[in-house]
Amino acid sequence: MFSLSLPIQTDRLILRTFERSDIDGLAAYHALPSVQRYVFTKTRDTSEVAGALNLMRGHVSLQRPGDTLTLAMIRKGDQALLGHVSLNWSDATAGQGEVRFCVNPAHAGQGFTREALSAVYDLAFDHFHIHRVFARCDGRNHHSIKLMQQMGMRLEAHYREHALFQGEWDEELHFAILDREWQRSTKVKDLPVRHRVA
Amino acid sequence: MAIRLARDLAIGKAGLAFVRPSGESAPPTGGGMSLYPTYPLRTQRLTLRPFTRGDVDAVYAYRRREDVTRYLFDTALSREECALAVQQRIGQVALEAEGDKIILGVELDGNGALIGEVSLIWRSVEARQGEVGWIFDPNYHGHGYATEAANAVLDLAFGPGGIHRVAARCDVRNERSWRLMERLGMRREAHFREHALFKSQWDEEFIYAILQQEWQAQRAEQAAT
Repeated sequence: MFSLSLPIQTDRLILRTFERSDIDGLAAYHALPSVQRYVFTKTRDTSEVAGALNLMRGHVSLQRPGDTLTLAMIRKGDQALLGHVSLNWSDATAGQGEVRFCVNPAHAGQGFTREALSAVYDLAFDHFHIHRVFARCDGRNHHSIKLMQQMGMRLEAHYREHALFQGEWDEELHFAILDREWQRSTKVKDLPVRHRVA
Repeated sequence: MAIRLARDLAIGKAGLAFVRPSGESAPPTGGGMSLYPTYPLRTQRLTLRPFTRGDVDAVYAYRRREDVTRYLFDTALSREECALAVQQRIGQVALEAEGDKIILGVELDGNGALIGEVSLIWRSVEARQGEVGWIFDPNYHGHGYATEAANAVLDLAFGPGGIHRVAARCDVRNERSWRLMERLGMRREAHFREHALFKSQWDEEFIYAILQQEWQAQRAEQAAT
Protein backbone atom coordinates (compact mmCIF):
# COMPACT_ATOMS: atom_id res chain seq x y z
CA MET A 1 0.00 0.00 0.00
CA PHE A 2 1.40 3.37 -1.01
CA SER A 3 2.03 5.79 1.74
CA LEU A 4 -0.71 8.23 2.42
CA SER A 5 -0.24 11.65 0.89
CA LEU A 6 -1.52 14.39 3.18
CA PRO A 7 -2.82 17.02 3.30
CA ILE A 8 -5.62 16.51 0.81
CA GLN A 9 -6.94 19.51 -1.10
CA THR A 10 -10.55 19.80 -2.13
CA ASP A 11 -12.27 22.79 -3.76
CA ARG A 12 -12.63 24.76 -0.57
CA LEU A 13 -10.83 22.69 2.06
CA ILE A 14 -7.54 21.36 3.23
CA LEU A 15 -7.82 18.04 5.04
CA ARG A 16 -4.92 17.37 7.38
CA THR A 17 -4.27 15.52 10.62
CA PHE A 18 -4.87 17.38 13.88
CA GLU A 19 -2.18 19.53 15.49
CA ARG A 20 -1.68 20.84 19.01
CA SER A 21 -2.66 24.33 17.93
CA ASP A 22 -6.15 23.13 16.93
CA ILE A 23 -7.28 23.17 20.56
CA ASP A 24 -9.22 26.46 20.35
CA GLY A 25 -10.82 25.65 17.05
CA LEU A 26 -11.87 22.23 18.35
CA ALA A 27 -13.13 23.61 21.66
CA ALA A 28 -15.36 25.98 19.69
CA TYR A 29 -17.56 23.10 18.57
CA HIS A 30 -16.70 19.81 20.22
CA ALA A 31 -18.23 20.52 23.61
CA LEU A 32 -21.42 22.13 22.30
CA PRO A 33 -24.52 20.31 23.55
CA SER A 34 -25.88 20.07 20.01
CA VAL A 35 -22.71 18.24 18.98
CA GLN A 36 -22.38 16.22 22.19
CA ARG A 37 -25.82 14.80 21.67
CA TYR A 38 -24.59 12.63 18.84
CA VAL A 39 -20.94 11.89 19.48
CA PHE A 40 -19.29 8.93 21.16
CA THR A 41 -16.60 10.69 23.17
CA LYS A 42 -18.00 12.98 25.78
CA THR A 43 -16.24 16.32 26.13
CA ARG A 44 -17.75 18.80 28.49
CA ASP A 45 -14.85 21.11 29.35
CA THR A 46 -11.48 22.30 28.05
CA SER A 47 -9.49 19.50 29.63
CA GLU A 48 -11.71 16.88 28.03
CA VAL A 49 -11.41 18.62 24.67
CA ALA A 50 -7.63 18.46 25.09
CA GLY A 51 -7.98 14.74 25.71
CA ALA A 52 -10.09 14.31 22.57
CA LEU A 53 -7.54 16.32 20.58
CA ASN A 54 -4.70 14.15 21.85
CA LEU A 55 -6.58 11.06 20.79
CA MET A 56 -7.36 12.42 17.34
CA ARG A 57 -3.76 13.61 16.81
CA GLY A 58 -2.82 9.95 17.00
CA HIS A 59 -5.25 9.03 14.20
CA VAL A 60 -2.79 9.50 11.37
CA SER A 61 -3.14 6.40 9.20
CA LEU A 62 -4.69 2.97 8.81
CA GLN A 63 -1.98 0.39 9.39
CA ARG A 64 -4.01 -2.39 10.96
CA PRO A 65 -7.68 -3.17 11.60
CA GLY A 66 -9.10 -0.95 14.31
CA ASP A 67 -7.00 2.05 13.30
CA THR A 68 -8.64 5.39 12.64
CA LEU A 69 -7.64 8.25 10.39
CA THR A 70 -9.04 11.59 11.53
CA LEU A 71 -8.74 14.67 9.36
CA ALA A 72 -9.38 18.25 10.34
CA MET A 73 -11.42 20.28 7.86
CA ILE A 74 -9.48 23.50 7.33
CA ARG A 75 -11.02 26.23 5.18
CA LYS A 76 -8.70 27.56 2.50
CA GLY A 77 -8.03 31.24 2.93
CA ASP A 78 -8.72 31.94 6.59
CA GLN A 79 -7.44 28.51 7.76
CA ALA A 80 -10.43 28.13 10.08
CA LEU A 81 -11.08 24.68 11.59
CA LEU A 82 -14.63 23.83 10.52
CA GLY A 83 -14.95 20.28 11.80
CA HIS A 84 -13.47 16.85 11.23
CA VAL A 85 -14.04 13.59 9.42
CA SER A 86 -12.70 10.18 10.30
CA LEU A 87 -12.36 6.75 8.77
CA ASN A 88 -12.08 3.67 10.97
CA TRP A 89 -10.86 0.39 9.51
CA SER A 90 -13.28 -1.86 11.33
CA ASP A 91 -12.72 -5.20 9.58
CA ALA A 92 -9.82 -6.29 7.41
CA THR A 93 -11.03 -9.62 6.04
CA ALA A 94 -14.30 -8.15 4.78
CA GLY A 95 -12.80 -4.74 3.97
CA GLN A 96 -15.16 -2.67 6.09
CA GLY A 97 -14.67 0.96 7.06
CA GLU A 98 -16.74 3.32 9.16
CA VAL A 99 -16.85 7.06 8.69
CA ARG A 100 -17.73 9.63 11.32
CA PHE A 101 -17.96 13.36 11.00
CA CYS A 102 -18.54 16.41 13.06
CA VAL A 103 -18.96 20.02 11.94
CA ASN A 104 -19.05 23.25 13.86
CA PRO A 105 -22.73 24.27 13.69
CA ALA A 106 -21.60 27.79 12.78
CA HIS A 107 -20.32 26.38 9.48
CA ALA A 108 -23.00 23.78 8.86
CA GLY A 109 -25.25 23.85 5.82
CA GLN A 110 -22.61 24.92 3.31
CA GLY A 111 -21.62 21.50 2.06
CA PHE A 112 -18.22 21.40 3.76
CA THR A 113 -18.80 18.01 5.38
CA ARG A 114 -20.01 16.58 2.10
CA GLU A 115 -16.90 17.89 0.36
CA ALA A 116 -14.64 16.41 3.02
CA LEU A 117 -16.48 13.07 3.06
CA SER A 118 -16.18 12.74 -0.71
CA ALA A 119 -12.41 12.99 -0.37
CA VAL A 120 -12.47 10.46 2.48
CA TYR A 121 -14.53 8.01 0.39
CA ASP A 122 -12.06 8.35 -2.49
CA LEU A 123 -9.31 7.61 0.00
CA ALA A 124 -11.16 4.66 1.52
CA PHE A 125 -11.97 2.96 -1.77
CA ASP A 126 -8.97 3.91 -3.92
CA HIS A 127 -6.12 4.13 -1.45
CA PHE A 128 -7.14 1.72 1.32
CA HIS A 129 -9.14 -0.63 -0.96
CA ILE A 130 -12.03 -0.80 1.44
CA HIS A 131 -15.00 -2.75 0.10
CA ARG A 132 -17.84 -1.12 2.02
CA VAL A 133 -18.04 2.15 3.91
CA PHE A 134 -20.74 2.56 6.51
CA ALA A 135 -21.88 5.30 8.84
CA ARG A 136 -24.18 5.31 11.82
CA CYS A 137 -26.26 8.12 13.14
CA ASP A 138 -28.97 8.86 15.63
CA GLY A 139 -32.49 8.48 14.27
CA ARG A 140 -33.25 12.10 15.13
CA ASN A 141 -30.17 13.56 13.48
CA HIS A 142 -31.82 14.92 10.35
CA HIS A 143 -28.76 16.75 9.07
CA SER A 144 -26.70 13.59 9.07
CA ILE A 145 -29.48 11.56 7.51
CA LYS A 146 -29.80 14.04 4.65
CA LEU A 147 -26.05 14.09 4.18
CA MET A 148 -25.84 10.29 4.03
CA GLN A 149 -28.52 10.28 1.36
CA GLN A 150 -26.68 12.95 -0.62
CA MET A 151 -23.57 10.81 -0.46
CA GLY A 152 -25.51 8.09 -2.26
CA MET A 153 -25.55 5.78 0.73
CA ARG A 154 -28.26 3.22 1.29
CA LEU A 155 -30.20 2.95 4.53
CA GLU A 156 -29.40 -0.57 5.68
CA ALA A 157 -30.59 -0.58 9.27
CA HIS A 158 -32.99 1.22 11.52
CA TYR A 159 -32.67 -0.05 15.06
CA ARG A 160 -35.22 0.91 17.67
CA GLU A 161 -34.43 0.76 21.37
CA HIS A 162 -31.58 -1.68 20.80
CA ALA A 163 -29.31 0.05 23.31
CA LEU A 164 -29.15 2.78 25.88
CA PHE A 165 -27.46 6.02 24.94
CA GLN A 166 -26.90 8.74 27.50
CA GLY A 167 -29.63 7.22 29.65
CA GLU A 168 -32.30 7.02 26.97
CA TRP A 169 -33.44 4.38 24.53
CA ASP A 170 -31.46 4.73 21.38
CA GLU A 171 -32.69 4.82 17.81
CA GLU A 172 -29.96 4.31 15.28
CA LEU A 173 -29.59 4.27 11.52
CA HIS A 174 -26.90 2.55 9.48
CA PHE A 175 -26.05 3.77 6.00
CA ALA A 176 -23.63 2.05 3.67
CA ILE A 177 -22.11 2.19 0.22
CA LEU A 178 -20.04 -0.36 -1.67
CA ASP A 179 -16.87 0.26 -3.59
CA ARG A 180 -18.57 -0.37 -6.93
CA GLU A 181 -21.40 2.02 -6.08
CA TRP A 182 -19.27 5.01 -5.23
CA GLN A 183 -18.98 7.68 -7.92
CA ARG A 184 -15.36 8.78 -7.69
CA SER A 185 -14.92 12.52 -7.61
CA THR A 186 -11.31 12.41 -8.69
CA LYS A 187 -11.73 10.13 -11.66
CA VAL A 188 -12.28 11.53 -15.13
CA LYS A 189 -15.96 12.21 -15.57
CA ASP A 190 -17.77 10.07 -18.09
CA LEU A 191 -18.63 11.82 -21.30
CA PRO A 192 -22.30 12.55 -21.81
CA VAL A 193 -24.22 9.62 -23.20
CA ARG A 194 -24.46 9.81 -26.96
CA HIS A 195 -26.67 7.80 -29.19
CA ARG A 196 -24.74 4.91 -30.53
CA VAL A 197 -24.02 5.14 -34.18
CA ALA A 198 -24.23 1.70 -35.69
CA MET B 1 -35.11 -24.27 8.92
CA ALA B 2 -32.27 -22.80 10.89
CA ILE B 3 -30.86 -19.41 11.70
CA ARG B 4 -27.45 -18.62 12.91
CA LEU B 5 -27.02 -16.68 16.05
CA ALA B 6 -24.99 -13.54 15.72
CA ARG B 7 -21.35 -14.28 15.39
CA ASP B 8 -19.16 -12.54 17.90
CA LEU B 9 -17.69 -10.49 15.10
CA ALA B 10 -21.04 -9.05 14.17
CA ILE B 11 -21.82 -8.26 17.74
CA GLY B 12 -18.45 -6.61 18.13
CA LYS B 13 -19.30 -4.40 15.22
CA ALA B 14 -22.41 -3.15 16.90
CA GLY B 15 -21.39 -3.69 20.48
CA LEU B 16 -17.81 -2.52 20.72
CA ALA B 17 -18.38 0.63 18.78
CA PHE B 18 -21.07 1.42 21.26
CA VAL B 19 -18.61 2.40 23.89
CA ARG B 20 -20.80 5.30 24.60
CA PRO B 21 -20.68 6.61 28.11
CA SER B 22 -24.00 5.94 29.72
CA GLY B 23 -24.04 9.39 31.27
CA GLU B 24 -25.12 10.32 34.75
CA SER B 25 -28.73 9.34 34.51
CA ALA B 26 -29.89 5.85 35.31
CA PRO B 27 -31.30 3.59 32.60
CA PRO B 28 -35.03 4.09 32.13
CA THR B 29 -35.70 0.67 33.56
CA GLY B 30 -33.76 -1.69 35.74
CA GLY B 31 -31.86 -4.62 34.29
CA GLY B 32 -29.90 -7.36 35.90
CA MET B 33 -32.70 -9.82 36.47
CA SER B 34 -31.68 -13.43 36.08
CA LEU B 35 -33.95 -15.97 34.46
CA TYR B 36 -34.36 -19.54 35.74
CA PRO B 37 -37.39 -20.93 33.92
CA THR B 38 -39.31 -23.88 35.23
CA TYR B 39 -39.09 -26.72 32.75
CA PRO B 40 -40.59 -28.13 30.70
CA LEU B 41 -42.37 -25.35 28.83
CA ARG B 42 -45.50 -26.64 27.17
CA THR B 43 -47.34 -25.40 24.12
CA GLN B 44 -50.35 -26.85 22.36
CA ARG B 45 -48.44 -29.61 20.58
CA LEU B 46 -44.89 -29.31 21.87
CA THR B 47 -42.70 -29.68 24.92
CA LEU B 48 -39.65 -27.42 25.26
CA ARG B 49 -37.14 -28.88 27.67
CA PRO B 50 -33.40 -28.90 28.38
CA PHE B 51 -31.23 -31.22 26.30
CA THR B 52 -30.18 -34.56 27.70
CA ARG B 53 -27.43 -36.97 26.75
CA GLY B 54 -29.96 -39.20 25.02
CA ASP B 55 -30.58 -36.53 22.37
CA VAL B 56 -27.38 -37.03 20.39
CA ASP B 57 -28.82 -39.30 17.70
CA ALA B 58 -31.86 -37.12 17.12
CA VAL B 59 -29.67 -34.02 16.84
CA TYR B 60 -27.29 -35.83 14.52
CA ALA B 61 -30.21 -36.80 12.27
CA TYR B 62 -30.68 -33.15 11.25
CA ARG B 63 -27.35 -31.47 12.01
CA ARG B 64 -25.58 -33.86 9.61
CA ARG B 65 -27.64 -32.46 6.74
CA GLU B 66 -26.20 -29.91 4.34
CA ASP B 67 -29.57 -28.24 3.87
CA VAL B 68 -29.80 -27.58 7.61
CA THR B 69 -26.34 -26.06 7.93
CA ARG B 70 -26.47 -23.97 4.77
CA TYR B 71 -27.20 -20.77 6.69
CA LEU B 72 -25.52 -21.70 9.95
CA PHE B 73 -21.93 -20.80 10.76
CA ASP B 74 -21.28 -24.50 11.34
CA THR B 75 -20.82 -26.97 8.56
CA ALA B 76 -22.60 -30.34 8.75
CA LEU B 77 -21.68 -31.99 12.05
CA SER B 78 -20.26 -35.42 12.68
CA ARG B 79 -21.79 -37.57 15.39
CA GLU B 80 -18.91 -36.68 17.74
CA GLU B 81 -19.48 -32.99 17.13
CA CYS B 82 -23.17 -33.48 17.83
CA ALA B 83 -22.33 -35.21 21.10
CA LEU B 84 -20.24 -32.20 22.07
CA ALA B 85 -22.97 -29.77 21.01
CA VAL B 86 -25.52 -31.67 23.09
CA GLN B 87 -23.14 -31.75 26.03
CA GLN B 88 -22.83 -27.95 25.87
CA ARG B 89 -26.59 -27.51 25.60
CA ILE B 90 -27.32 -29.59 28.69
CA GLY B 91 -26.04 -26.76 30.85
CA GLN B 92 -27.60 -23.93 28.85
CA VAL B 93 -30.83 -23.57 30.77
CA ALA B 94 -30.71 -20.18 32.53
CA LEU B 95 -29.70 -16.56 32.01
CA GLU B 96 -27.45 -15.32 34.79
CA ALA B 97 -24.99 -13.05 33.00
CA GLU B 98 -24.61 -11.24 29.72
CA GLY B 99 -23.96 -13.65 26.87
CA ASP B 100 -25.69 -16.60 28.57
CA LYS B 101 -27.91 -18.79 26.42
CA ILE B 102 -30.96 -20.89 27.00
CA ILE B 103 -31.14 -23.64 24.39
CA LEU B 104 -34.08 -25.98 24.55
CA GLY B 105 -34.90 -29.16 22.70
CA VAL B 106 -38.33 -29.10 21.03
CA GLU B 107 -40.22 -32.36 21.44
CA LEU B 108 -43.33 -33.30 19.54
CA ASP B 109 -45.98 -34.47 22.01
CA GLY B 110 -47.56 -36.89 19.54
CA ASN B 111 -44.56 -39.20 19.15
CA GLY B 112 -41.97 -37.80 21.56
CA ALA B 113 -39.56 -37.01 18.72
CA LEU B 114 -36.96 -34.29 19.11
CA ILE B 115 -37.66 -32.06 16.11
CA GLY B 116 -35.27 -29.17 16.70
CA GLU B 117 -34.15 -26.49 19.11
CA VAL B 118 -34.94 -22.92 20.05
CA SER B 119 -32.61 -20.53 21.82
CA LEU B 120 -32.54 -17.26 23.67
CA ILE B 121 -29.35 -15.29 24.29
CA TRP B 122 -28.96 -12.45 26.73
CA ARG B 123 -27.16 -9.88 24.59
CA SER B 124 -27.21 -6.89 26.91
CA VAL B 125 -28.06 -6.79 30.58
CA GLU B 126 -28.10 -3.00 30.78
CA ALA B 127 -30.37 -2.47 27.78
CA ARG B 128 -32.24 -5.75 28.32
CA GLN B 129 -31.61 -7.10 24.85
CA GLY B 130 -32.18 -10.67 23.77
CA GLU B 131 -31.70 -12.67 20.60
CA VAL B 132 -33.66 -15.73 19.53
CA GLY B 133 -32.63 -18.51 17.21
CA TRP B 134 -33.85 -21.88 15.99
CA ILE B 135 -32.82 -24.99 14.12
CA PHE B 136 -35.50 -27.46 12.97
CA ASP B 137 -35.40 -30.87 11.38
CA PRO B 138 -36.62 -30.46 7.77
CA ASN B 139 -38.71 -33.63 8.17
CA TYR B 140 -40.98 -31.63 10.44
CA HIS B 141 -41.21 -28.41 8.45
CA GLY B 142 -44.53 -27.01 7.37
CA HIS B 143 -46.67 -27.77 10.41
CA GLY B 144 -46.17 -24.54 12.32
CA TYR B 145 -44.04 -26.22 14.98
CA ALA B 146 -41.25 -23.66 14.71
CA THR B 147 -43.77 -20.83 15.03
CA GLU B 148 -45.31 -22.46 18.07
CA ALA B 149 -41.94 -23.01 19.75
CA ALA B 150 -40.65 -19.53 18.90
CA ASN B 151 -43.80 -17.98 20.34
CA ALA B 152 -43.11 -19.80 23.59
CA VAL B 153 -39.55 -18.49 23.67
CA LEU B 154 -40.70 -14.92 23.08
CA ASP B 155 -43.26 -15.33 25.87
CA LEU B 156 -40.43 -16.47 28.11
CA ALA B 157 -38.16 -13.58 27.10
CA PHE B 158 -40.73 -10.82 27.45
CA GLY B 159 -42.57 -12.28 30.41
CA PRO B 160 -40.40 -13.84 33.14
CA GLY B 161 -37.21 -12.68 31.35
CA GLY B 162 -38.17 -9.01 31.43
CA ILE B 163 -36.34 -8.46 28.14
CA HIS B 164 -37.04 -5.15 26.40
CA ARG B 165 -36.22 -6.08 22.80
CA VAL B 166 -35.64 -9.38 21.08
CA ALA B 167 -33.80 -9.58 17.77
CA ALA B 168 -33.20 -12.39 15.30
CA ARG B 169 -31.02 -12.55 12.23
CA CYS B 170 -30.73 -14.69 9.16
CA ASP B 171 -29.32 -14.90 5.70
CA VAL B 172 -31.45 -13.05 3.15
CA ARG B 173 -31.83 -16.30 1.16
CA ASN B 174 -33.24 -18.07 4.23
CA GLU B 175 -36.82 -17.24 3.41
CA ARG B 176 -38.43 -19.83 5.69
CA SER B 177 -36.77 -18.23 8.68
CA TRP B 178 -37.51 -14.61 7.90
CA ARG B 179 -41.09 -15.50 7.03
CA LEU B 180 -41.29 -16.98 10.51
CA MET B 181 -39.86 -13.79 12.00
CA GLU B 182 -42.59 -11.87 10.20
CA ARG B 183 -45.26 -14.26 11.46
CA LEU B 184 -43.97 -13.61 14.97
CA GLY B 185 -44.69 -9.91 14.39
CA MET B 186 -41.03 -8.94 14.22
CA ARG B 187 -39.99 -5.93 12.18
CA ARG B 188 -37.21 -5.95 9.62
CA GLU B 189 -34.71 -3.52 11.06
CA ALA B 190 -31.65 -4.21 8.98
CA HIS B 191 -30.73 -5.44 5.55
CA PHE B 192 -26.94 -5.52 5.36
CA ARG B 193 -25.19 -6.09 2.05
CA GLU B 194 -21.63 -7.35 1.84
CA HIS B 195 -20.92 -6.26 5.40
CA ALA B 196 -19.04 -9.46 6.18
CA LEU B 197 -17.88 -12.72 4.70
CA PHE B 198 -19.96 -15.84 5.23
CA LYS B 199 -18.49 -19.19 4.17
CA SER B 200 -16.03 -17.39 1.85
CA GLN B 201 -18.70 -15.32 0.13
CA TRP B 202 -20.16 -11.88 0.64
CA ASP B 203 -22.89 -12.00 3.20
CA GLU B 204 -26.31 -10.46 2.96
CA GLU B 205 -28.26 -10.45 6.17
CA PHE B 206 -31.59 -9.47 7.68
CA ILE B 207 -32.09 -8.47 11.30
CA TYR B 208 -35.60 -8.52 12.71
CA ALA B 209 -36.71 -7.28 16.11
CA ILE B 210 -39.72 -6.73 18.32
CA LEU B 211 -40.13 -4.70 21.49
CA GLN B 212 -41.69 -5.91 24.72
CA GLN B 213 -44.66 -3.54 24.51
CA GLU B 214 -45.31 -4.59 20.91
CA TRP B 215 -45.22 -8.25 21.86
CA GLN B 216 -47.56 -7.76 24.78
CA ALA B 217 -50.03 -5.77 22.68
CA GLN B 218 -49.95 -8.49 20.04
CA ARG B 219 -50.52 -11.24 22.60
CA ALA B 220 -53.41 -9.33 24.15
CA GLU B 221 -54.96 -8.94 20.70
CA GLN B 222 -54.55 -12.65 19.97
CA ALA B 223 -56.15 -13.51 23.31
CA ALA B 224 -59.12 -11.29 22.52
CA THR B 225 -59.89 -12.97 19.21
